Amino acid sequence: MKQKRISRKAIPYLFILPWIIGFLVFTIGPLIFSLVMSFFDWPLAADPKFVGFGNYIEMFTSDKQFSKSLIISLKYAAIFVPLNMIIALFLAMLITQPVRGVKIFRTIFYIPTVISGVAVSILWGWILNGDYGVLNYLLSLLGIEGPKWLVDPAWAILAVIIASAFGVGSMMLIFYTDIKNIPIDVYEAATIDGANPARQFFSITLPIITPTILFNLITSIISSFQQVTLVMLLTGGGPLKSTYFYGLYTYNNAFKHHKLGYASANAWVMFLIILVLTALVFKSSSAWVFYESEAGGVAKKGKKSKRGGKR
Amino acid sequence: MRKKLVAMLILAMTGTMFLGGCGSDGGSGSGGGDGKSGGKVKIRFASWDEAEDVDAQQAAVDKFNDAHDDIEVTLEAYGGEFDTKISAGMGSNDMPDVMYMWNYPAYSQGLEPLDTYIEKEGEDYKKNFYDTLWNYNSYDGSTYGIPIGFTTHALFYNKDIFAEAGIDEPTNDWTWEDVQAASKTITEKCEGKKGFSFQMKPDPYDYEMYLWSNGTAYVDAEGTLEGNLNSDKAKEVFQMFQDMEKEGSAVATEKSGTDEFRAGNTGMYVYGSWSINTLKEDGVNFGVVNIPSFGSQPSISILSSSGISMSKDSKNKEAAWEFIKFWTSEEMNKERIGMELPVLYSVVESEGIMEQPEYAPFYTMLEQSSDYTPSSFIYGSWSELSENLSLSFERVFNPSAMENVSDVLDEAAQQ
Repeated sequence: MKQKRISRKAIPYLFILPWIIGFLVFTIGPLIFSLVMSFFDWPLAADPKFVGFGNYIEMFTSDKQFSKSLIISLKYAAIFVPLNMIIALFLAMLITQPVRGVKIFRTIFYIPTVISGVAVSILWGWILNGDYGVLNYLLSLLGIEGPKWLVDPAWAILAVIIASAFGVGSMMLIFYTDIKNIPIDVYEAATIDGANPARQFFSITLPIITPTILFNLITSIISSFQQVTLVMLLTGGGPLKSTYFYGLYTYNNAFKHHKLGYASANAWVMFLIILVLTALVFKSSSAWVFYESEAGGVAKKGKKSKRGGKR
Repeated sequence: MRKKLVAMLILAMTGTMFLGGCGSDGGSGSGGGDGKSGGKVKIRFASWDEAEDVDAQQAAVDKFNDAHDDIEVTLEAYGGEFDTKISAGMGSNDMPDVMYMWNYPAYSQGLEPLDTYIEKEGEDYKKNFYDTLWNYNSYDGSTYGIPIGFTTHALFYNKDIFAEAGIDEPTNDWTWEDVQAASKTITEKCEGKKGFSFQMKPDPYDYEMYLWSNGTAYVDAEGTLEGNLNSDKAKEVFQMFQDMEKEGSAVATEKSGTDEFRAGNTGMYVYGSWSINTLKEDGVNFGVVNIPSFGSQPSISILSSSGISMSKDSKNKEAAWEFIKFWTSEEMNKERIGMELPVLYSVVESEGIMEQPEYAPFYTMLEQSSDYTPSSFIYGSWSELSENLSLSFERVFNPSAMENVSDVLDEAAQQ
């Protein structure tokens, strides 16, 4: 009897065992190990030396590049995250319209996501080339002399943002599935009430998908801090270190300068920053995220809930 | 009952999955056992080459394996990830036995000194290699690699553009003043073309050759920057390039400048032998001469060299050396012609390399550059210095910055 109960309890864990082992070995293990490393001066071939908080102190006191790279990454995130979400939402709205051939567009918009970051970097390297690039050629047709995107430090970060917005597809798809799930009768009711499409978007679509917006917001904040591939291959951190992102800074400390301990400390500081940002977003979410289960609460806060019928 | 069966199955699958993973790891990793199986000594050989070059290497490795009953070499092509993988391998004691190598200052601690092996081969063995190459394959008094290939730099020029501008083609004894004069004429006479191009963000390792050519260096023998990097002679070099860019006869390119040269947009540029094959394929009518001098002494070139090294943790050093010897033999040097410049006197002579005008300057530059050691071999934390220098150079040459040469170099020397 007792044995049976134990086995019943154990079976679910058995099912997720492969994942758990993978998680412990490939995620938690290295994670903890990197925390340990961050307290050492850990060169490549010689023996590691314990330095306590030395790496962290160095970062905040003597390493000027640390704060520079951090600011660059924050700047990137501040522009890229909202821009990316707006584009994704816009495209998602487009592909939910009942138009012929919409499936083709859905595929076209999504395709860039499955291209590897390396290929995207090479592609955009050509597009953005100041002298021969197609982007500046198109601008010249409009009578605009395009900047030297990858040479002028004032434009380079924008160039990186444009190139990264290319991979908007997966976020678009998440928005798309959520928008598709909104019952059609809500819109029908709104139409009868005389709400125009813009009104419908702001009063129905947007409030209902706020949980998805929250999800996309958090994942894109995280991914924007982790952006490495693109800057490494497209700009190499330049021109004049204007796109020397925090991720690249960490990577170079580890694999170029071979300061593995210091780079681990960099990574942990980034982890803490992301943690704080995520916590802030979560904290704020109670003010703007709408869950179906608490429809009443939101209505009280003054947001109009146009959900009718189905209840 | 059925549930139990499912549970058992999952358990079994998980088990095999992880055991399977470990099994294959133990077989190929040098960490597992003594690296012997079936009486054969296994050697892991890591290369940074890609695509067709790897096929050629695999063919050569197969040849070695066929000729040796007791050794089996496996080629591991790391490609562009070479440095990351070697770093990671060194950190986790999982180095290949034999590997390509260039950055000796960074990796020497994980490599086997090869001097005793070389001595055993007799005096003539070492003498057959171009002498300069040993400097670049040693660190701190020990030799860590056997030369495989190299390139020096030389001045490439487009013969058609020189004909169009109606001026004499460059010769081996050109000075930079000649280059400046020719650049001016080309830029004036040839619509939409520039006389000369150089890199906007040159690799500091490469760029030191211009300082050498003008009688200075980034650092002195003690590794001091002050008074070297910002010496008048160094400033002169940077000023000359910046002036050419400012007056418009030269253009600073984002990359090496090969693209611009191939497209026929620039008349001259300084580069390694890497572009020869591409230029030939494109049918560019080009010539190659020595790097121009600053007048007072012959010009010096940096060497980009590749060697082959042994891990100090290799368990089969004799077999590894056997393979290294094969890989650096006359036969293999001949095999690699077209991909690498041969490094053996005997091969250069027997293949008549010096009679080929596009290759000869690289050997002249090689012999002219024998007494110079790059700062990367002298200065302790070169990778960080290199990053700082790179930024400083960009501040001087980036058209949207073009900062004052003297100020930037003085500041860089303070770091």
